[in-house]
Order: sequence, then C-alpha cells, then structure tokens
Amino acid sequence: MEIFPALLSVITDPTLLFAIVLAAVVGMIVGATPGLTASAAIAMLLPITFYMSPLFALAFLYVIGKSGRYGGSIAAILFNTPGTAASAATQIDGYPLARAGKAGKAMRVATISSIIGDLMGDILLVIGVGFIAAIALKLGPPETFAIYFAAFVVIGSVIGNSIIKGLASALMGILIAMVGLDPISSEERYTFGSFELSNGIGLVPLMIGVFVLGEVFAQLETRRKITGETEENASTADGSTLTWEEYKPCLPHALRGGFIGAGIGVLPGLGSAIAAFISYGEGKRRAKNPEMWGKGALEGVAAPEAANNAVSGPSMAPLLTLGIPGSTIGAILLGVFLIHGIQVGPTLFLTDKELVYKLFACGMLGILAYGLIGYFGATQVARLILKIPTNVLYPLIFLTSFVAAYSARGSMFDVTVMTVAGFAGWLMRKYDFNVAAFVISFVLAKGAEETFRQSLLMSEGGALVFVERPIALAFLLVGLAAMGFRIRGIIKERRIAQGELGDA
Amino acid sequence: MKRRTLLSVAIAAVAVTAMATASIAADWPKRPINLVVPYKAGGGTDAYARAISAAAEGILDVPVVVVNKPGSGGLNGANAVVGARPDGYTMMMTSGGSFLLSTMTRDTDIDALESFDFVAQVGQLQTSLMVPVNSPFQSVQDVIDAAKANPGQLRWAHSGRGGFHHVGGMGFLANNDIEAQDVPFKGGGPTRAALIGEQADFGFLGVQQLAGFEEQLRALAVNSQDRDGIMSEVPAFGELGVPFAAVSSPVIVFAPKGTPADVVAAMEAALEQIAAKPEFAELLASRGTGPVYQNGADAKAALSAMKEDATPLVQSLTN
Repeated sequence: MEIFPALLSVITDPTLLFAIVLAAVVGMIVGATPGLTASAAIAMLLPITFYMSPLFALAFLYVIGKSGRYGGSIAAILFNTPGTAASAATQIDGYPLARAGKAGKAMRVATISSIIGDLMGDILLVIGVGFIAAIALKLGPPETFAIYFAAFVVIGSVIGNSIIKGLASALMGILIAMVGLDPISSEERYTFGSFELSNGIGLVPLMIGVFVLGEVFAQLETRRKITGETEENASTADGSTLTWEEYKPCLPHALRGGFIGAGIGVLPGLGSAIAAFISYGEGKRRAKNPEMWGKGALEGVAAPEAANNAVSGPSMAPLLTLGIPGSTIGAILLGVFLIHGIQVGPTLFLTDKELVYKLFACGMLGILAYGLIGYFGATQVARLILKIPTNVLYPLIFLTSFVAAYSARGSMFDVTVMTVAGFAGWLMRKYDFNVAAFVISFVLAKGAEETFRQSLLMSEGGALVFVERPIALAFLLVGLAAMGFRIRGIIKERRIAQGELGDA
Repeated sequence: MKRRTLLSVAIAAVAVTAMATASIAADWPKRPINLVVPYKAGGGTDAYARAISAAAEGILDVPVVVVNKPGSGGLNGANAVVGARPDGYTMMMTSGGSFLLSTMTRDTDIDALESFDFVAQVGQLQTSLMVPVNSPFQSVQDVIDAAKANPGQLRWAHSGRGGFHHVGGMGFLANNDIEAQDVPFKGGGPTRAALIGEQADFGFLGVQQLAGFEEQLRALAVNSQDRDGIMSEVPAFGELGVPFAAVSSPVIVFAPKGTPADVVAAMEAALEQIAAKPEFAELLASRGTGPVYQNGADAKAALSAMKEDATPLVQSLTN
C-alpha cells in the first residue's frame, strides 16, 4: 500500500498541487477545443518540462492526458466534433442531447462518468500493476490478433441505418490503412511512387479532417440553407441540472465502462477510442432502452466516457513494466522518463518505486481537480462557447484544425491529408456513410494485419495457431458470439420495424 | 537554479549577438540548434540526442533542441534536413547503419555517404543474438545446431525488415549456412517484449536492450569482432569464432551539404567535448549504451566499409 504515503507527500507539496490543478485546466481547455488533442498539447509542452524535476514533469503531462480525455467530451457534446478521438463515441448520444437543450445535463453525466472510470482505472493500476505485467508478457501476436478481431465487432454497434453503407465505410477505412509500407515485408503499397505516401496516412490529420473539417463543411452547408436563428443548441434551465434519479441508470454503464476501459488500457496499442466504442456497443446491447441510444440517451454518454478515461491508468502498466507505450501520450511520457535518466522496465519498481507511486497519487488528485472544475465549470464554459456566434466559432475551429494537423509532425503533407479527409468526411455525412465505422476500421486494420501476418509466420502459414492457443481462442469466441448477438439484434429490429409498418 | 541557467543562456545569447564579427563560425551559434532525430521519441538514437542536449550545457552557449521527425525508416527526417538551410542551426542525428540500409533499399535520392556532411560520431548501437531466459539454447552453437537439425523451423524476431538488426541477423544465418523464419515486429521495444514472452526462439536486437532485463533475456553474442564497451559481459561473435556480417549502427551527427566548414568544425569540436563529459556517459549508462566518439572523416570511412559488407545481403533482400 505504497500509495498512501505517496498521496500524503503529494498533498503536502503546494507547488506540485498547483501544477496538478494547472494541468487539469490546460488539459480540459485543450481537450474541449475541437481539433486540439491532449497528445498534441503534451508534445508542444514537452520541451518546457525539461527544466522541471522528473516528478513535476511527469505529473504535469500525465494529468494533462487525463483531463484532456475528459475535456474532449465537451466538444463532442456541444459541437458534434470530438475534441479527441477518444470522445468520438460520446458524440453519438451527446450531440442529440445538446440539440434537445440538455447539454449541461450531458456534460455533468460525462464528468461524473469520467471520474468514476478514471478512478477505477487508477485503483486497478495500483492494485494490479505487477500482475498485469505478467499477463501482458504472455500475449503474443495470435492473442493480440484475436483481441483485434473481437474489437472489430464494435463496428456493428455504430453502423447506423444502412448496413451496406456502414460496411462500405469500414472497408474504405481498411483500404486507407493499407497505404504505406507493408508491416511485414516493408514493401510499398498504394503509394503511387509518392515519398510522402510511403509513410502511410497519419491518424491525426485523417481524424481532424474527417471529424472536424468535415463537420465544419457540413455546418457551412446546412447554415446556408437554413437562414435565420438556430436555437436548438441553447440549454434550457431544466437541461443543465442533473438529479440522482437521472444518473442512477447511468451508473451500471459507467462501472462496466470502467472495467472495459481498464481491460483495454492494459493492452498496448488499442487505446481510449476503441475502449469507448466497445463500451458504447456493450452498453447499447445490454441497455433497457436500446431504442433511445443514438437519439440522446444519458447512458450513451456515461458508457463511453467512463471507458475512455479508465484507459488512462492501466495504459501505464505496459509502459512502466515493459517499456511499451500503449498510447501516443504514453510514448511521450516514455521520453520524459528517459531524459531524466529513469530506466523504464521491470526494474523500475525496484529503483524508483517511490516516484512511480507519487505519480499515481498525482494522477488521482488530477482526477479530483478536473472533476471539480468540470462539474461546476463545464456548463459555464459551455455557455460561454455557445455565446460565441457560429460565424466566429467555426472559422476559429477551421483555423485550429490546420494548426493542429501541421503541428503534430511538422508536415505540410499532413495538412493536405487533412484537407482531403475533410472533403471526404463532408461527402460521407452528406450521403449517409458512416464516419465512425470508417475511422475505427482504419485504426484497427493496421494492428490486426500486422499481428495476423506475424501469427502466420510463427505457424508456417497455418491458421491453427489461433485455435491452439487458449487465450487467442477465447477472444475469437467472444468476438464471434458478440457478432452473432449483433446480427440477431439487427434482424429483430428489422422485424419489429416491419411489423409496425404492417400494422399501420 | 533553472532561472539562473535560463538567465545565463539569455546573457550569453545577447553577448554572442553583440559581437559583430565577419566570420560565421565566430558568430555561431547564436540561436538554438535543432537536432532532428528521424525516429520516435524513446528509441536508442533518441536517447543519444536527449543526452547530447542535456550535456551540451556549458559547452555550447545555446540549447540543443531535439526534434523528432519519424517515418519511412528514418528517411522522412533525412529528407527534411537535406533540404534545410545549411547555416549550422539544423542538423540530424541518426542511427548510421539503419540510415545507410534504408537509403539502399528504398527508392530515394538520398545517398548516406554523399548527401550530407559528416560532423562526428558520438555513439554506437550494436545488434546481438538473444534468447528468452528459459530457452534451451545456452550458446550460439546450440542455436546453429538446432537450426541445422530443423531447417526453417526456428522463428526469430527482429525490429523490422531492412533495418540493421534484420540485416545483421540475416548475415549470421547466411554466414553459418542455416535457415530460420523471421517474424518482424515494429521497433525494438515490441521485439524485446515478444522475445520475453517466448513468441520466438531467438531474436536480433540491440545489445543495450538487455540492460535491466537480465532476468528475462539471455544475450548469447554481440554482432561484432570485439565486445561492446558497456555491455561487456556479453561475448562477441568474433571471439567465439562464429562468422557474422559486420553490420552495426554508429550514431552520427550529419549537417546539410554546404554548411560552412568552420561551423562543421566547431560543432565537431563541441561534440567531442560533450562526448567526453561524465554526465553524458552517466545519462547513457542507464540505457546500456555509452559514448563512442569518432571524428567526421573516420565516421564516414567506417560507414563506407559497412556499405561494402552489407551490399550482398541487401541484394538478397530485394530479390
């Protein structure tokens, strides 16, 4: 129980507390600004932390990561543009709630769920970090592929009205993910001789383009058509308060999301966005009111928000114990450890145990900080942002998306990618293709392909390797079962819809 | 303390700017120097750059800023630097072996030996043959015997095809007339984790990756004639009498072609001083690497020699 002395020493250090609160505010603002991500902010702030002590630097960046994941929900709910990829699932229900004048309510649900998920993640991390490391080591390519396979099922839960268009969107995502170097043979694919394309399409510019720019274009179009006041986003007085009765049905979803997020977080490379989508899909499947999901269910905000924040803590486990960063933020934190001469790996818990637990303690205080600020401040922030006329706000978002796309890697090519992706995202929205399915399959395809082909190399081209290894087999069965349930669910929905039509 | 360093840097910067001299070198450096690393933060080369940046204080009057430009096997960053203004404020630190190999295997106009000025070598990354700690293989000969008994049945892990670990491993297999199936992973960290998890029978990865993982991994030999300066308990292929291909990766600082000769010389001198600083060695020691200084001309000669060794292996790779 090394965490308690660590908590005590952090609480009694006023400068450290100040850094935590500052990081919580910075993360929230960055996360809430569409197009700016916590990882972009951390990358930009990294040089400053070289002048700080290791704990100071790590705590500052770690808390920004946490609070940024939470802040993303604000933009998702208000503007239908996820501030970070992790909150893309939040917008499915968050935005309809905002349009119904319940933005404040949705944001409070997001805040509470984020706190629950994040704290669960951190507590599980503190308890199980050693155990987690032992398990993570046993997962080879076949197991990882099976997990990817199970994750692909989530596409089914966000697929929307048209199954054909949803699957087409997913296939497009996979196709785009193929561009670049073959993960096994390092040969070029679909690069058309272009040097920049040999690097692949970057996730950050693609996402900013599809989600942010695409949304701006779509707004541009609708606002041109509908001249006059657009009042649908204004919060009613009743819409910004939240009662316990209203949150009660959300609680099981938040708790389940916390476990899903923590589980996904331990596995390197999957990340918060996937956790959020799986949690959303699972939540919808088990919900008492699945017909409300997607049209503004508070539970639909609670499930993904808890999950994406729960990733934060456990994703530190493979980083600290194996040196494998589970996320972009993790990769940057790894650099901070190294610059301060701290060896990340199993020996970290022998040499710098105190520092690690102090960092965990800072993370927990950071959750409290953004939770308090968010619970009482998010509606104010939201009101402020809503007061900004859209003809000021959208150009601003437009501008930041260009800055963000450029600053991630300092590449003009990424700006081109973002612009093209922006038009693509707008067209996909216009013709009712599924943007979420497109992006998820883009993210999943790379890892899935790599691990699948690694597995085949390990087994001389035979697929038996997936069945012979028990953990891999278990995940494959989970995936297949979930797929079966989804198909049954869709058929049922169809039948009900047709039945109703028949009655009419 | 940090205030004071900032202040002294500011004063130094003002002082340097105030001195109006005709020579560029006397004027240099007056702005922070951008050191481009064409790999992600956290890798072996990046660790060197971070250590240079930290140890440069007191030797260079301006900060050395590490800029990561990853992608395309290190060519992305190289492309950015080859076209940069040759004023001594943009330089590249890269893993020379990987850089050389990617210019040979990829379709690019960059020539590792001709497109840049060599400033200096500050370190050395070496690949090595490792097995999981529970592996039945106790020696290099065990691996060779097992591979001969079951040709093509063993699996070996490395950090990506075309990299110097892969080419080093292929050289080991080809020179000993054995066959095994390779399983590429993305980067050194995942390769090490896969080997710890016994996903492969053996692997070729940086010898420094053993530091801190002695209880999970066993290094059978380092891929060179002599032992590594830091990981000195690992035997070398050379002393074991096992044939190998001399592929390693010297960590080299390059400047864009056309950088004034006196600026390159001044940076070379500064790097020699930095490499000799105890702080530099300390920062690297925890990562299992250490300073290996060579001047620009020697570094270029060593890289040319490696190119000759690697050419036949690369040709077998591309065919």
